[in-house]
Amino acid sequence: MLIILTIAIAIFLVGIALALYNSSGAAQLDLSGPRFQSVQKQAAQGDDFNGFPSSGELDQGAFNQFRTEYDKQTKKVTDVDSFSGDVMSDQALSIDPPAGE
Amino acid sequence: MKRSLIVFAILTATLGGAFLWQQKVQAQDVPLMTEAHIAKIRSNCVEAQSTLNQLHTSDALLRVNQGQLYELISTKLMAPFNARVALNKMDASKLLTASNNYDQELAAFRANYKLYEEAMSRTLKINCLNEPVAFYDSVTETRAKRKTVHSNVVNLSTDIQDYKAEFNALEANTFKESAE
Repeated sequence: MLIILTIAIAIFLVGIALALYNSSGAAQLDLSGPRFQSVQKQAAQGDDFNGFPSSGELDQGAFNQFRTEYDKQTKKVTDVDSFSGDVMSDQALSIDPPAGE
Repeated sequence: MKRSLIVFAILTATLGGAFLWQQKVQAQDVPLMTEAHIAKIRSNCVEAQSTLNQLHTSDALLRVNQGQLYELISTKLMAPFNARVALNKMDASKLLTASNNYDQELAAFRANYKLYEEAMSRTLKINCLNEPVAFYDSVTETRAKRKTVHSNVVNLSTDIQDYKAEFNALEANTFKESAE
């Protein structure tokens, strides 16, 4: 009886964990599945940038330091036009209506 | 009691009829697919699904890498700079507004990407040979969601520029005051 109860509780908790995994958006960030094997190594490992210090005087040097780091990090995202293009268009997938329709 | 039941039945019938009529009108607005189009989808859909599979994988990698950078910009640059401005008793209100706009857009990006990925997963699960119309409709829906994610990316770039503009304005004001 105790074993059955333990198993039931375990299944229930696993169910909650799976629901949280899907609802929180973590599923979309998980590249550990077999379908993502080809791209796993391309996932960024993180910069060695520890962040701009949140305390201290704000002199010209601090402004310059922030500007340098801000431009460096933002260039990585603004140089890439993510999720753009017509890769999913009917023509690109060859599922557009036949010519003449 | 009997009267209330009759009134309830009439009301339900009226509402149900109105709903069915609206569905019929909406269905008439959507053009039906021709047999030739359906045949074309059937003949190309396996290759299309293979392309979508590759896109799904590359988009997942893009989401992870770009997402990390977006988070870093917010938590390791904007937030600590805003705090330091406040600690130095400078006016951080415009910087805070710009960073709040960025954070809101980032939250929208996350949510919309999740919707897009779920739509893509549904599309890839459809047996396109047996259900070509459902596959086509699902691709259309997924494409629209991907476009929404792209618009979030564009807005995030704009917010990044806006924050930089506020930073430049603060710097100009700070050292202009010092020079005076």
